[in-house]
Amino acid sequence: MTAACDFHKYESTHVLLMKAPSKPSARKKASGKRHENKEKTKRAILAAALALFAKKGFYRTTTKEISKKAGIAEGTLFNYFETKEDLALYFFALEQAETIAGYEADHHLQRASLPEKLFAIIHRFLDRLAPYEEFIGAVYWRALTPASKLSPWSLQSQERNLHYLQFIRRVLAQAEADGEIPRVGDFGAYAFGMFHAAIITFWLQDSSPGKEKTLALLDRCLKLGTHLVRNGGWEW
Amino acid sequence: MGMVTDSQNNSTVGRGWRLGKLGLGLVGSYLSYQAQNLLLGEGRQAQRQTRFRQKASRRVREELGALKGPAMKLGQMLSMQADALPEEAMRELVQLQMQAPAMHGTLARAQFKGSLGKYPEEIFREFDAESFAAASLGQVHRATTHDGEKVAVKIQYPGIKSAIESDFKLLRSTTLPTQLSGHVPRALLDEVERGLLAETDYRHEVDNLEFFRQGLSGLNYLTIPRVRREWSTDRVLTMSYVEGGSFDAFLQRKPSQELRDQTGTRLVEMYEMQLRCLKTIHADHHPGNYLFRPDGAIGLVDFGCVKHITFDVRELRRGYQDRVWRQSEAAARSFLVLLYGRQIPFRRARRCLPLLDQWADLLYPRGSTADVVVDYRTGRDERFEELAAAHWKHIWQDKLINPEHAFLVRADMGLFHLLGKLRVKVNFSEVWRRVEAAANAASPRQKP
Repeated sequence: MTAACDFHKYESTHVLLMKAPSKPSARKKASGKRHENKEKTKRAILAAALALFAKKGFYRTTTKEISKKAGIAEGTLFNYFETKEDLALYFFALEQAETIAGYEADHHLQRASLPEKLFAIIHRFLDRLAPYEEFIGAVYWRALTPASKLSPWSLQSQERNLHYLQFIRRVLAQAEADGEIPRVGDFGAYAFGMFHAAIITFWLQDSSPGKEKTLALLDRCLKLGTHLVRNGGWEW
Repeated sequence: MGMVTDSQNNSTVGRGWRLGKLGLGLVGSYLSYQAQNLLLGEGRQAQRQTRFRQKASRRVREELGALKGPAMKLGQMLSMQADALPEEAMRELVQLQMQAPAMHGTLARAQFKGSLGKYPEEIFREFDAESFAAASLGQVHRATTHDGEKVAVKIQYPGIKSAIESDFKLLRSTTLPTQLSGHVPRALLDEVERGLLAETDYRHEVDNLEFFRQGLSGLNYLTIPRVRREWSTDRVLTMSYVEGGSFDAFLQRKPSQELRDQTGTRLVEMYEMQLRCLKTIHADHHPGNYLFRPDGAIGLVDFGCVKHITFDVRELRRGYQDRVWRQSEAAARSFLVLLYGRQIPFRRARRCLPLLDQWADLLYPRGSTADVVVDYRTGRDERFEELAAAHWKHIWQDKLINPEHAFLVRADMGLFHLLGKLRVKVNFSEVWRRVEAAANAASPRQKP
């Protein structure tokens, strides 16, 4: 049995992943204006926090400083974000949403090969993270603590991941439908998610000019990965 | 050291090459292919060619093209030696030169941004994410600047420098037996590595382009791209776009004999100008680096690898013309030193003398005073190829490898390969006289 066939057994394990992303509820629509204002404040707090993180670092920045810079009371800040970790989670969720939206708006990319699509997704994400590299590094260390909200196993992280995995699953399903790869199912999306996290870790450590080592690694891994999935082994 | 035949397959060289094959994958197998072809007898060579044809041809383009770097360079070197390869492999290798599998647009743009800080669309009015040509260490994209100039943007494959360094580390360890036996001198490996690493910094190429553009400005039929320094870095090179088709496309248009002769003469003149006036040659004489226009104008691109020549070409030619080795032992000694360097003992180098006589016969069939005329109109002169092959074999067996001479011979072979494909008649002596006059008029320029 080839590696390609093995993927089938994972096919029906997480049907949820194939559900379309949830639509805004009627209640949310009704309170649209209030939601908009809330979102605006959250973004203002995030912008203030990112500026401070860049200047003082993630750990040394206090919530007091953030609220001062954002022009709100410290108590109000806690209404929006309980901890700095919640801020980080919000940041990732935003960047992720922007990456997905950017991908979906790029018509050229829709016609590209699978390795190029996947490359573009990770690269777009890295490109957006680039100005906040130090902050991301700190968040990654924090994420290693199991009790942290940033840990990949926390409920908050899982919720964010789910949206991302659904998106990746759709991209892979398209490639499956086009006959570009055999069916990889949810397994493919999970594997790619882990690969994405690994690449960010590599990227954080990469001191080559223009992070070209990350580009090379990413490109080669994706080409090799697609090749292996397609041919089910080391048939060179 | 004898030839590696069936019975001697376990010799150090044979083992070394097989080890190289194992350790290096593609790079190793191509090196070994090249080496074995030099050493194997006719029958075995044919067998090996068949195997190579079946297995490797497709792989060369697909895999080497993807790897870029040293392996692709090696592929290019091999493709210049057309006769060492079967036709199928040649076709694949020619594709390698012109249409190697590309970095996709997203990667090329990412690498561009990594180097210049902005995406190409932020700098140019238009940028074609699809590349139109492969360069040895990257690929070339079309773009239009905001002032309307068409430019070619060469983008290097990411991480190529470390790939070359690690390939060479492997190459050095796996070819240790051949280094110890003296068949692959360390100096040669150093030279190739130095050249390749220099090529990874496009700023060298910027200097080379400007040097050649200025030095060859007297040749009005020749176009060399103009560099746009503001958009060039060590990994991105932006230059004016040079119009012209590939060598094969030029031949497909069935150019008249007159146009072919003119083109052939121009190629010889360009080469001679580089040798005599610039004392620096464009090292890649493979067809992919020339662009041909229907009116006979020629474009020369890809100046990543150029070679400064300290060799006295005039003395070399005079030596052949007058057969100096026949005049006295001292004259023979100094001529062989010119060819192979001081480090080769005379008793070893002198074994080449009969071959030198054959060369002189071939180059000056009508005596030393008559013009050197190469007539390939009815096809290539096979005696030339046979003699070149015999000479290479001799060089290999007697370890007469002098990097600079080998380099010059490689460039010569590349030029003759082109002339053979063009089916031309060229009066070399006439070109030499013309360039000599130009060289005397201008003092030699200094390589940057």
